Amino acid sequence: MRLEEELAEAMEAHVAGVRATPAMGGAIRRRHRSHRLRFRTAGVALATAAVAGAVPVYLSLNAGPPATVSGPAAQSGQGTAVAVVPDVAVPEVVGMQTQEALAVLEAAGFKAQIEGDGGDGGLVVQQTPAAGEKVAPGHVVVLTSAPPSPTADPKPTEDAGRGGEDRPSIPDDLGDLGDGRRFGGVEFTYLPAGLQWGEGSVKDGFGKTSYSTWWQEDGLEPGMYSVQAVVYRGQAATELGRRMKGYRDQGARPVEIGGERVYIVRAGEDVGQIEEEGTPTAVWTESPGLAVEVMMSPDYYARLGQEKAGAELKRIVEGVVPGR
Amino acid sequence: MTEEDEAAFDEFLAARSTALLRTAILVCGASQHDAEDLVQNALEKVYRHWSRIRHDNPESYARRVVVNAAISAARRRRVIQEITFARPPDTPAASPDVELREELMTELRRLPARMRAVLVLRYWEDLSENETAALMGCSTGTVKSQAARGLARIRERMSPREGVLG
Repeated sequence: MRLEEELAEAMEAHVAGVRATPAMGGAIRRRHRSHRLRFRTAGVALATAAVAGAVPVYLSLNAGPPATVSGPAAQSGQGTAVAVVPDVAVPEVVGMQTQEALAVLEAAGFKAQIEGDGGDGGLVVQQTPAAGEKVAPGHVVVLTSAPPSPTADPKPTEDAGRGGEDRPSIPDDLGDLGDGRRFGGVEFTYLPAGLQWGEGSVKDGFGKTSYSTWWQEDGLEPGMYSVQAVVYRGQAATELGRRMKGYRDQGARPVEIGGERVYIVRAGEDVGQIEEEGTPTAVWTESPGLAVEVMMSPDYYARLGQEKAGAELKRIVEGVVPGR
Repeated sequence: MTEEDEAAFDEFLAARSTALLRTAILVCGASQHDAEDLVQNALEKVYRHWSRIRHDNPESYARRVVVNAAISAARRRRVIQEITFARPPDTPAASPDVELREELMTELRRLPARMRAVLVLRYWEDLSENETAALMGCSTGTVKSQAARGLARIRERMSPREGVLG
């Protein structure tokens, strides 16, 4: 028999038992509705977006910069990206099923090696480096695996697992920001009425050095945003400058708001790509080495209506002043 | 989106989601669970543009999105995969057929993602070289050479024992 045919048969046998669940339509619509923070950050996380769907917000944030800071060139050679990217924090995986831990580490841009009696079907009892330690993306995290004890809590059902997605652990790298209006050395003096601080923040999730937080309408789940802001400094500000140039190359022209030249675009999921139905985004350079980005969730934008949303976005931009 | 759009999307899923899921598993080399996540994510994109694309061959659009997502996922999975799928040393020999298939799948997984995608699309999905090229956004020549090289690599690695393969 020819190899092509053998191969086709092997593939057929491999997937013959696979059936898509009838619940897929519901799952897709849920994803569509939940324009979570991570969907916006998926733009930053680039290639990790597919996997990021299952991991908490902070993981997709951490996973972002390594894949993107060095631009499209980095995508072809994974090795080249590593040399120039900032270190990222290792996520906590102790207590997880080994497989789950692998997925989480993978999504965060790390490699993993399993040791111990539990093999790849056990529970993670120890990790090196420890959670929170900053290491280079691609670093090998050594997991010690123990056999799952028979009385241990069995792996949660699929549904419970997906439910967990609704309770992402929210990063709070910058601590308590009060109303969230002052961070990263700038102040947001104007925010649309009805928005409250999202009680979370991220440092260096959008390149080094960057700060981000977000605000929500009443009743929004934790981890979702109505308006998100990122303050870029240093290298991150340089990267953002490049992105703005990319917007310009795609035909965007800056508008002048409060003396700054601001690009207002619909940012797609791919970094730097303008997309018809992308996230309404304003980016500008406030002063050398300091740039700011304000994003409005597409849901919030739609609720306000194009005209009002556009006006609010401008007022937010106008209200940004270097911090006191 | 109108109710009719929604109903058409459900029909589309009923007809195509299993095939797309299988393609994703083969191209990305992932477990069904991971592939489901990937396919849902890709189909969310299809859903987002559904009212616009539903009359214009949504099937090929969806397949393209899924294959691309599977290729990127495969690239990221690589290292972990090799750990996860490493064969236990003392697996008892199954029937020769089953064993051959498993070896073929193992070798398939070892190929670079795009090369593997070409083999899946050409030989499992039975697409023509032109269709495969259009779907992957490359030239027919690339499809030809990737398919030939993919087969050659598999043949080379299997040949010590499986001299029978033509």
